[in-house]
Amino acid sequence: MVAVQQTAVDVVGTVTSIVLAPVDAWDRLVAAMNSRRDLQDEVLRLQQENRVLKGQNQRLAALLSENARYKALLRSAQLIDDELIAAQIIAVSPDAARHIVVIDKGVLDGVEVGQPMLGEEGLMGQIILTGDRNSRAVLITDSAHALPVQVNRSGLRAIAEGSGMIDRLLIRHLPAKSDIRVGDLLVTSGLGGRFPNGYPVARVVEVVVAEGEAFALVTAEPISALDRGRYVLVLQRTVGSGAES
Amino acid sequence: MEQARSSWVIYLSLGCALLFMLLPFPLEWRVFRPDIATLALFYWILALPHRVGVTTAFFLGIGQDLIEGSPIGLSSLGLMISVLVLMSNYQRIRQFDGVQQSLMILVLLMLTSGSEQWLRNGLEMPGLPWLGLIGLLSSTACWLIIRELLRLLRRYYEVN
Repeated sequence: MVAVQQTAVDVVGTVTSIVLAPVDAWDRLVAAMNSRRDLQDEVLRLQQENRVLKGQNQRLAALLSENARYKALLRSAQLIDDELIAAQIIAVSPDAARHIVVIDKGVLDGVEVGQPMLGEEGLMGQIILTGDRNSRAVLITDSAHALPVQVNRSGLRAIAEGSGMIDRLLIRHLPAKSDIRVGDLLVTSGLGGRFPNGYPVARVVEVVVAEGEAFALVTAEPISALDRGRYVLVLQRTVGSGAES
Repeated sequence: MEQARSSWVIYLSLGCALLFMLLPFPLEWRVFRPDIATLALFYWILALPHRVGVTTAFFLGIGQDLIEGSPIGLSSLGLMISVLVLMSNYQRIRQFDGVQQSLMILVLLMLTSGSEQWLRNGLEMPGLPWLGLIGLLSSTACWLIIRELLRLLRRYYEVN
């Protein structure tokens, strides 16, 4: 059964690329007709962005090694190196009840079931089925999906459930007096072992505490624009020998 | 019974209708997508009930599930049930005028997606949002167009 579905992902991927070929060609044509000036501006902007990112990255490297030293001192966790696979969303499942997409990377590129999928700004979803050259991924807003998160400010842990709406995540069963406010950033908590900790997930947009209710209903908006953008990253985890004791 | 003629037209048109599912739609707009494959299947049942039947419905459902990535067979049951209903009433439905026929198709589409919804509930899968009903209406609105197109095809290739 699974083998048939895996083959189907590849077939769907291939056929979609054929169906989309004219659209792609048009995009390329438009890109080719961009004026030289626009391109120069773009390059300038990207160079600046790159400098900023490189600057931030230097601090990150320092922090990572510092972190590794502390972990070594504590003789605790293994050092985990994250590697990224760049992919493109090529299709959206026609099933209106689910938020499932097809990406153009598969087993042959190192994609495995369960790997997290990231957008430019934050977590988007995870891989649920892999073919040779294409895979299916479920988005965090799918109503059958839930993930453990943590409020970045207070460290409060919770479960963010998909709502079936592309711009909403729900947190139920959080005691009404919990320390969570509108504007709080939710990041992955790393509990459950599926998603590594520290990736931004969503921002709280509403906290409703009904009179006399024991639980607050928290609504959050995903950081990644899940319905826009075609370029995604699949996170491949390799456990390094770093601070193992 | 006569010899089957040009039956490849049937399967080709059903295949093309499945391809329509692959056209890119924005995530939030997918509920409005008309279910062309089911409509095409209904047309062929109405036109040639001795050629197309429950088996075709079964395989079309499998095809839909493979494209959607849902559990295999989820769409088949609904299609097979509504095809059975259609096959036992095709002579009457053929006589209906456009509006009556469209309404009948709406009922059959509701039967199809209702059975699918029932299976989804049983499998604890997320069900279709209420907006899904609009998808049924848009499918119904496409019925007459699909019927005319496929009728042209059938007459041109003399499918029998």
